[in-house]
Amino acid sequence: MTYEQFTERLFVEAGKAGIAPAEVYYAERDSIKVSTHKQALETFAVASTAGLSFRGMVNGRMGYASTEALDEGAIAMLVRGVSESASLVEDEDVQEIFSGSPAYASVETYAPGLDALPAAAHIDAAVALERDALSRDPLVTESDYNQTAYLKSRVSIRNSFGLSLSHQDNLRYQFLSVVARRGDRTCDGAALGIGRGTTLDMDKELAEAVDHAVRMLDATPIPSGKIAAVFRKDAMTDLLDCFSGAFSAEAAQKGLSLLKGREGEAIAADCVTLIDDPLMPGGFVSSPFDAEGVATYTKEVIGGGKLHTLLHNLKTARVDGVQSTGNAAKLSYSAPVRVAPANFYFAPGEDSLEALLASMGDGLLITQLEGLHSGANGVSGDFSLPAKGFVVSGGKIGRAVEQVTVAGNFFTLLKDIVAIGNDLFFGPGGGAGSPSVWVKEVSVAGE
Amino acid sequence: MISQTLAQEVLAAAMARGGHFADLFLEDTTHHGMMLRGGKVETANTSRLHGAGVRVFAGDQFYYVYTNDTGREGLLRCARRAADAVSSSDRGVVTPMRKLALQDTHLIKVWPGDVEGAKVAAKLREASLAARAHSTDISQVTVNYIAWDQNVAIFNSEGVAAEDRRVYTRLACVAVASNGAENQTGYDAPGARLGFELFDQRVDPKVIGERAARQAVTMLHAPECPAGVMPVVIENGFGGVIFHEACGHSLEATSVSKGMSEFSGKLGAQVAAPCVTAMDDGLLPNEWGSIVIDDEGTPANNLVLIENGILKNFLTDRYYGGRMNTPSSGSGRRQSYAFAPCARMRNTYIAAGKDCDEEMIATMGNGLYAAAMGGGSVNPTTGEFNFAVDEGYLVKDGKIAHPVRGASLIGRGGEVLKRIDRVGKHMRMAQGMCGSLSGGVPTNVGQPRIRVSSMTVGGK
Repeated sequence: MTYEQFTERLFVEAGKAGIAPAEVYYAERDSIKVSTHKQALETFAVASTAGLSFRGMVNGRMGYASTEALDEGAIAMLVRGVSESASLVEDEDVQEIFSGSPAYASVETYAPGLDALPAAAHIDAAVALERDALSRDPLVTESDYNQTAYLKSRVSIRNSFGLSLSHQDNLRYQFLSVVARRGDRTCDGAALGIGRGTTLDMDKELAEAVDHAVRMLDATPIPSGKIAAVFRKDAMTDLLDCFSGAFSAEAAQKGLSLLKGREGEAIAADCVTLIDDPLMPGGFVSSPFDAEGVATYTKEVIGGGKLHTLLHNLKTARVDGVQSTGNAAKLSYSAPVRVAPANFYFAPGEDSLEALLASMGDGLLITQLEGLHSGANGVSGDFSLPAKGFVVSGGKIGRAVEQVTVAGNFFTLLKDIVAIGNDLFFGPGGGAGSPSVWVKEVSVAGE
Repeated sequence: MISQTLAQEVLAAAMARGGHFADLFLEDTTHHGMMLRGGKVETANTSRLHGAGVRVFAGDQFYYVYTNDTGREGLLRCARRAADAVSSSDRGVVTPMRKLALQDTHLIKVWPGDVEGAKVAAKLREASLAARAHSTDISQVTVNYIAWDQNVAIFNSEGVAAEDRRVYTRLACVAVASNGAENQTGYDAPGARLGFELFDQRVDPKVIGERAARQAVTMLHAPECPAGVMPVVIENGFGGVIFHEACGHSLEATSVSKGMSEFSGKLGAQVAAPCVTAMDDGLLPNEWGSIVIDDEGTPANNLVLIENGILKNFLTDRYYGGRMNTPSSGSGRRQSYAFAPCARMRNTYIAAGKDCDEEMIATMGNGLYAAAMGGGSVNPTTGEFNFAVDEGYLVKDGKIAHPVRGASLIGRGGEVLKRIDRVGKHMRMAQGMCGSLSGGVPTNVGQPRIRVSSMTVGGK
């Protein structure tokens, strides 16, 4: 059955079963991923997949079910699944199927030229990237991971109110990790590029990755204690990504965020502005509508240090008596509707990274944080993470540091921000971004 | 799911332009999930995963193409897309198939699809109520039920044809303790390769809720863990995550075959203290990480990884194992058809030793007792690992003094294995979802209580 035939049949069968209103969320994804080893193709993976999520109301409760097979069995399974799911759900906070926003912005996130590239172009780009990376320093002779990927996706929402929305995007990323060796020491450095052009300029990223791997060969721990720190743009982006869940009104309503009820309060230093911009031109998670079909818009979540708003979907907005902020999101096509930011970033300040370090004088430049999925607790805000970086003395970058952990609390850190740099960067994850950030102090565990 | 004739046709199409090996993996999986929060069922969801992947090995490369379209045309299109990418003089043939006769030792009584939602909700409620009843500090409880029934068919050009059905059930409870200004969490999530009989045989939801709540409350009233280098005693059960991260991942063929693992080329060498013996056992009946066959059709076995500190075996799959000239150890696993398989752990544990649990704390001086470990990660190239300690206690003069929060452990795998100086007698396993190149797969970690003479402890 085609998607159109399938959804027609599904809405008819759902109507007969008393499921109304009802909605289909359909996510299609095509990808090409290539990896190289020793400057030759190693793996080549191509995928073309789609998943359909069906939800609908029965006696005022929302039920969910989803499938990747579009066959007769799937129609019966979806109708039964939604009916059963709706009969079990006891949550009184009302979810709704949305009849549509008055208008939707347009945001360009699809580059036809990129889609037209043949698979061979991605293979060539990956091989060329590895070759380039390995030509830069005699101590860097290997790459342990090098992937170039092209991703294309389309999300469509269709519901029984007649709402029909569709948005397509594509992008290419290249991720390469280089290994520097000397004696029995092994260190690595990583470069990431994301874009929609037919070529990606990774020169600066490669130089940084190679430099990082080589300099880490001499890294040692530093003594334990409290120390001023600059989180480099990529490290701060990882940290923000990890704690972005705290800005969800859903987390707040469920007692899982310490930001509950704090709208209007100063929760960060005056210099902090945190923006959620689903309409960012060329953004990696830009879309004119959210996972419930609500029109998206740009907003300051923190402005001048004050918490202006949490992020809402229709359900959380109704509970708090406000409007949805257009932040309904699904972790995957089959997941229930939750809340998540789009392009979510600290607004850049005036200073370069060098200027931030010069102002800080003595402290630690943190270039890499690991273990974010285990060493950081989104509910408490506590983090204790292995870190790498450099000692900063007299405003200049000094010796390399490894085998230390950096510990703190994200909510305390927001208040301890001294200055924000001008080098805004977006990470590979969910669209979180940050410039480099100078923080009054963190706890370091080392020697 | 499909006939051997069609499978043979698909594999021949995949190898039409070169290649010495090809396989076809088909899957139809139904996931059942329910979440209870604040005492109420918040979501209940059924989802069906359906797809197939075709893989070709040619020269030193592999090609993988997957799709949801598992009809004859869809599968052949998939095979042709793989073949189109191959440029190799490597030529192989598709051998006639014979179906693998498999003995499924993981008996299932109640299939996930046959369980009434109301019965699931009742189990979630039991856990939630137990957590709430533990203390008035408990401000939120989330309980998840996760079960899935995976049907796979595997065919390869060497004549293997196999079918397998895998059933998993798990209960996960997160309790939050709060004093208004601070939150701390506690967690427990047991599971097994069982159906709903999990709750009759192994898991009492009340115990799980209670345990998560106790941990959250203990941590709410605990001071921050001091940072520094100190001896660390790690409790049995999920404490085994230390071996999983610090060593297990670095024994996987993916990094070993490229000479990128710190254990590359060290078979037969002393890589751990002599008191350490470690296993990766795929056979244990109904265990979370057990298999009948792996996702490449290789039957399960019980593999010795380290014996008395000597490295004995790596974890291998067909592709990366092939590059090491080592046959598959039955470790080729994947989350779903949307991932090409690679060598992964199954039930991986440090075997029971001879030391006394009490003695290792009594003689440790000042240090940390990690009663419950959280998750961790490792960089297999450098061996650097990190773990969160979910429930830690400071030890002073060989006596447990008080709980501490916010601790983490970091180090390098090779170093920590050599610094294990006590291995207790009571091995216990615990369940995790292990994430790596081929997605998230269920694995058991395990160990008896052990002591590491010196580790870097992160804290404040």
